[in-house]
Amino acid sequence: MAFLRLHNLSVDFPMYQGGARSLKKSILANTTRGNLARDALNRINVRALDDLSFNIEQGERVALLGLNGAGKTTLLKVFAGIYQPSRGQLVRSGQVSSLLDINVGMNVDLTGYENVILRGMYMGVHPREMRKRVDEIAEFTELGDYMDMPVRTYSSGMSVRLAFATATCNAPEILLLDEWLSVGDARFIAKAKKRMNEFVQRSSVLVLASHSLDLLAEWCTRGVWLEVGRIKMMGPVDEVVAAYRAAMNRA
Amino acid sequence: MQDVRLRYRGSVIGPFWITLSLGIMVGAMGLIYAKLFNQDIESYLPFLTSGIIVWTFIAGLVNEGCQTFISMQGVIQAVPLPFSIHAYREVTRNFIILAHNLVILPPVMIFFHVGFSWRLLEVIPALVLLAINGVWVAMLFGIASARFRDVPPIVQTVVSIAFFVTPVFWPAASLGRWQSLAELSPLFAAVDIVRSPLLGHATAAYSWSIMLGITVLGCSASFLLFSRFYTRIAYWV
Repeated sequence: MAFLRLHNLSVDFPMYQGGARSLKKSILANTTRGNLARDALNRINVRALDDLSFNIEQGERVALLGLNGAGKTTLLKVFAGIYQPSRGQLVRSGQVSSLLDINVGMNVDLTGYENVILRGMYMGVHPREMRKRVDEIAEFTELGDYMDMPVRTYSSGMSVRLAFATATCNAPEILLLDEWLSVGDARFIAKAKKRMNEFVQRSSVLVLASHSLDLLAEWCTRGVWLEVGRIKMMGPVDEVVAAYRAAMNRA
Repeated sequence: MQDVRLRYRGSVIGPFWITLSLGIMVGAMGLIYAKLFNQDIESYLPFLTSGIIVWTFIAGLVNEGCQTFISMQGVIQAVPLPFSIHAYREVTRNFIILAHNLVILPPVMIFFHVGFSWRLLEVIPALVLLAINGVWVAMLFGIASARFRDVPPIVQTVVSIAFFVTPVFWPAASLGRWQSLAELSPLFAAVDIVRSPLLGHATAAYSWSIMLGITVLGCSASFLLFSRFYTRIAYWV
């Protein structure tokens, strides 16, 4: 049983604009009163997500749309458990695998093979177990001998293939994907989609953030359109994508 | 861990550069300071070698403790892991470096006829205690540094000064009546509980009690800070 339920969830980012990050100013702010204190502690909080409430139930494939800075990635990071909400709560059930940035969590000096093992350790899979899956990953990614080369030498498409194959090798119940999936070529996207379909049949949850509207419309069932941290529109993916596209054309 | 191996990938003698550079440093310092402090080289060199090895370990724990979370920023932002893992990783890495450095010690000991004694076994609980302290240092300084980026340079400065004012490469006894004052420093206690058993001496009177006190104090402080701020670390790094 996999689900994600948000209840009045907000996320604030503290902006340490040069000043507040420095110890001196913090100490001064605690010891002096008046202008200085206000200056030093004049922290700007950016509200990245504002009072979101909605549920994602099992078997759903959700598309996140929105302009840059709308909060898509932040929401994915909250789902992944990286950011704790500043207010409200997230109830989550199911084992999560997230691919939020291609190279993050990968060590470019290590070989593809070693990265698979490392990533497995991050996911809580024992290296012994992971070694059994390496062949399958090598096959899916079609990397061949490149598996023994440092990831530094990979093209971005190759890194994406490796990251995707690794993150999905243990069939997570909740899969979170950010934008970069579109870096892959058509052949990879088709392969990835096939793999996704197997997943969703096992009634897992997929949340995908992308600017590629065709990809979203094809992969997902529900659309969530975010605008500066709030939900602008939510509904069947075709409707949301159509409305989003119309809005973009007007702009 | 892969950290150490990675740092020396592509070099001929690999991680043993750690050992070699320490060996050269100790050799050079030993000759000069033995003269400078009017020490007899037979007893001074083992003293210096063991002191520097232990100090390198402690300084590494403290300095790298500041980077516990900052350096793992990429991972923290990508995969939700218990934060303590980063502290364990940092302590483990320093232990591996320590193991490389310890290689120098047996030849020095044999060459200068430092006798074997059962006190050597005292090293084991001492290193365990240092490891525990390493973990709280990594958590506490790691959190503080993630929030205030001034902390690592401050700590670094303090540690490098502490190297000269702590009886690491000079014997505490040469301070005369100030000796006991120097021996009350927690950093000295940390060095002493490992070094003295290595040399077959008894530890200074208060070293163990000071270290145990520091452990309890540090763990509690670190725990309080962590339970208060752990939700914020991901935002800070």
